[in-house]
Amino acid sequence: MAEKPQPVRVLYCGTCSLPPEYCEFGPDFEKCKPWLIQNVPDLYPDLVKEANEKEAGKAANQLKNTSISSGSDDGAASSAPKQEAVKRLPGGKVKKKEKQEVVIEKVIRNKRKCITTVKGLELFGVKLSDASKKLGKKFATGASVVKGPTEKEQIDVQGDISYDIVEFITETWPDVPETSIFFIEDGRKVPAA
Amino acid sequence: MFKKFSSEEVSAQNQVKASVQRKIRQSIAEEYPGLEPVLDDILPKKSPLIVAKCQNHLNLVLVNNVPLFFSIRDGPYMPTLRLLHQYPNIMKKLQVDRGAIKFVLAGANIMCPGLTSPGGALDEEVEAETPVAIMAEGKQHALAIGFTKMSAKDIKAINKGIGVDNLHYLNDGLWKMERLD
Ligand SMILES: [Zn+2]
Repeated sequence: MAEKPQPVRVLYCGTCSLPPEYCEFGPDFEKCKPWLIQNVPDLYPDLVKEANEKEAGKAANQLKNTSISSGSDDGAASSAPKQEAVKRLPGGKVKKKEKQEVVIEKVIRNKRKCITTVKGLELFGVKLSDASKKLGKKFATGASVVKGPTEKEQIDVQGDISYDIVEFITETWPDVPETSIFFIEDGRKVPAA
Repeated sequence: MFKKFSSEEVSAQNQVKASVQRKIRQSIAEEYPGLEPVLDDILPKKSPLIVAKCQNHLNLVLVNNVPLFFSIRDGPYMPTLRLLHQYPNIMKKLQVDRGAIKFVLAGANIMCPGLTSPGGALDEEVEAETPVAIMAEGKQHALAIGFTKMSAKDIKAINKGIGVDNLHYLNDGLWKMERLD
């Protein structure tokens, strides 16, 4: 029998229903933005930056309001936090490019459905297509290698499997130490170990 | 084709006879050999196949109220974008440059220069009158289903006018019709 292709589960925008990468061309990009920042922050890094800048701007304004010498204009007040905001992802996570680690995140889509994304396995020499197959089989669900235009490939697994996945990863690929596995919980990175 | 499409344009919905069902399955399998291993999942033999006849000689193939394929007159069956997204490699692909995306999403047919510019990409093997997935520069998922008016070689050589008819695109009426109840 020919090998059965696994259906790709595409995450569609909760606001406009398009694949999120097309929201920028969709009927109302502005309305999509909160959903995008929440669900696919890596797809539009500029949005996250923008949101952080707004936050930073707010903070700067607050600072300015409380400080006694508020002579400077807005631009000067917000330029310093702006620099810092560039390096930060939502939840204050600092992006470290080179670090070898596996990051697992549960992404809620629609109302009840969710997918679990697994990023970084390839940094341990794991073939993603192979890993995707194994994950799909182990958890009896759909799993696929997904590639965002602005980021590396990751594996999307249908359903919430974040509970059992660590054990499965460390058993299947002994090269991946438990200490290198992290969860994203409420926008914060938490070590699995 | 589906710009203003809605359930109101469906004139009749019929469960087709077993023989017709077989024929539809067969022509889909022939057109998209990559779908053959999963055809039983997509069009389960036990679930009734519904063909909805719509205006403008359009037919929709539905299973469990979900539109999966469409055809025009006696033309080939083409997957809906939602189905194509699940099985992205069943169709030949042509890629438009980023600048063309907003026109395609407004329903415009695909002009040759949008395919031949640096951001575009052509599968040289694509013949005229072939169903194709329209991809876009920098994007992962198809944004439209097209039917070529000329071969990829001619698109390249002639490089003007409409190369591909845009039949179905993201956010058109068919896209919005996730189900037909
Ligand atoms: Zn959107």
